[in-house]
Amino acid sequence: MPEQGNRSIFSGERVGLLIALAVLSAVPLFIENRAIVEIIILANIYAVYVASWDILCGYTGQVSFGHALFVGGGAYTAALLNFYFKFPPWMTIFFGGGVAALFGLIIGTPCLRLRGPYFALATFAAAAFPYGLTDVFWEVTGGLDGLYGIAPIWPTLMGKYYFSVLLTAVCCGLVYLGGRSKKGLILKSIREDEVAAMASGVNTTAYKLTTFVISGFLAGVAGAFYSHNQLHVGPETLSINLSILVIIMSVVGGIGTITGPIAGAYLLTIFNEMMREWEEVRLLIYTAAVVLILLFVPKGVLPTLSDGIKQWIKRKGG
Amino acid sequence: MNIFLEIIVYGAVQSSIYALLAMGFCLIFGVANIVNLAHTALYMIGAYLIYTFFSVLQLNLAMAILLSVVSVALLATGMYRFCIRPVMVSEWSVLMITISLAMFFQQLMIFVYGPADRNVEGFIGKKLTLFGAVDIDAQRLLTLGVSLVLLVLLWLFIYRTRMGKAILAVAQDREAALFMGINSERVYLTVIAISAVLAAVAGAFIAPTIGARPEMWAPTLGKIFAVVVLGGIGSLEGTILAALLIGYLEVVISFSISSYFGEIVSVVVILLMLSFRPSGLLGKRIEA
Repeated sequence: MPEQGNRSIFSGERVGLLIALAVLSAVPLFIENRAIVEIIILANIYAVYVASWDILCGYTGQVSFGHALFVGGGAYTAALLNFYFKFPPWMTIFFGGGVAALFGLIIGTPCLRLRGPYFALATFAAAAFPYGLTDVFWEVTGGLDGLYGIAPIWPTLMGKYYFSVLLTAVCCGLVYLGGRSKKGLILKSIREDEVAAMASGVNTTAYKLTTFVISGFLAGVAGAFYSHNQLHVGPETLSINLSILVIIMSVVGGIGTITGPIAGAYLLTIFNEMMREWEEVRLLIYTAAVVLILLFVPKGVLPTLSDGIKQWIKRKGG
Repeated sequence: MNIFLEIIVYGAVQSSIYALLAMGFCLIFGVANIVNLAHTALYMIGAYLIYTFFSVLQLNLAMAILLSVVSVALLATGMYRFCIRPVMVSEWSVLMITISLAMFFQQLMIFVYGPADRNVEGFIGKKLTLFGAVDIDAQRLLTLGVSLVLLVLLWLFIYRTRMGKAILAVAQDREAALFMGINSERVYLTVIAISAVLAAVAGAFIAPTIGARPEMWAPTLGKIFAVVVLGGIGSLEGTILAALLIGYLEVVISFSISSYFGEIVSVVVILLMLSFRPSGLLGKRIEA
């Protein structure tokens, strides 16, 4: 797993992040094309999915295969509240996050006592359960088609875009600061050696559970945002494919670095859209690429690239 | 009375498929400490290959089954050699690479055969009437019979042959086995091949009943995990018992309530077992 050492190639990581945020905010001022702006909104949402996954899995080493449970939980809560009870989006987003956090508590309590593969498989199985529920209660949830006609977060594209930037900045910022804080360090100590962390007086289960709930909350908020963005909610927000996509994005970006997986989310969302032309082979290439990356670039594409550039600069300078 | 008999027969068939799959999964995990999330993907490939060889190429049945099983075994050993072994130092990487492989195989099947179900005609087409009351396809009974034979063969292989002893030794203590001159690499390959054969047979024989679908691996993986958790890792008897319990629970609940609740039985079982008895019914205690 990647170590703390691979920071960004810029001396001040935070300067880099601020520049990234500035670029992100400037996007709709320079890009006229609606489709591209929509794609970046999607990438912003994915960035939150991935960041919330990374704080749980990259930091504590508990690989969850059920992140879609949180995303879908948030998405459906928001959509149902808005569709049937006409709750405004700013409220449903928090309710979505709350329900996802509750899922985190319910699933986390039995699952977090487990380690490694047990945890991964338990989350995998737990996430399968609400997916089927959407089909059983199709009269309420719209079944496989989902529900159409969810209220938009903001009527104009520009407003929607800036809301998504705000969402990303707040959620990813929280995760980033949390990860770099003392608490983040404790989480990493759990990943490196849970027994040693326990011996040092860390209540590892409480830490893991809290992280699970926070991770759930953020993913739920992003999921709720997603349904208000698409004006639609469907079972694909709960599918195993989404859970795995989140993991893939983190792997490409370099797990456990927060910034890496976020960058991975942007990279892959854009890559994904570029490949729309080869629709039939898109996912085949995608999955094959992941297997190859895991085999040959296990640290993640972005950290390896940044290390390479760092060395190249050093060689040039020295 | 009628329904009661139907439940007995359907439950037995379901359980036997779960037993075949869970045995293979358990064997690799117990011996090589590999959590092979692509295990049910092999089952899916088994189903597709029997479709290719039997329904498309019209080979005779024995030949088609043999070809499917051997291809899957070769695929699995190749997968182990080139994808799993290089990353085996980290448990986590094994999880990631096997789930990615499973996804890759799913996409490959969609690419080759398209997203729709493929149906395979039954190996024996007749419907039988059991006990004068239950109508059941002979295919299901054939599946049950083949599974039982295979499970007995597996038991004999593990407890009655030299290689079986080596497998048990490596499972117990890899280094000690190494000192006794056991080639653990060969043991791993054998175990991988055996588990792939079990998965491929399960896939090939179930294909005429449920068809071959590209996404059939994921829900099955959840159920296999339920069986493994219920039975306890490293306990072959526990696995069989758990497969029976899960298989029958599923069938009983599907018949009496709805098929959806039949599907989620395994999730409930997993969460309950993990909360109250993580070592499984018959398993040795694990540090969970």
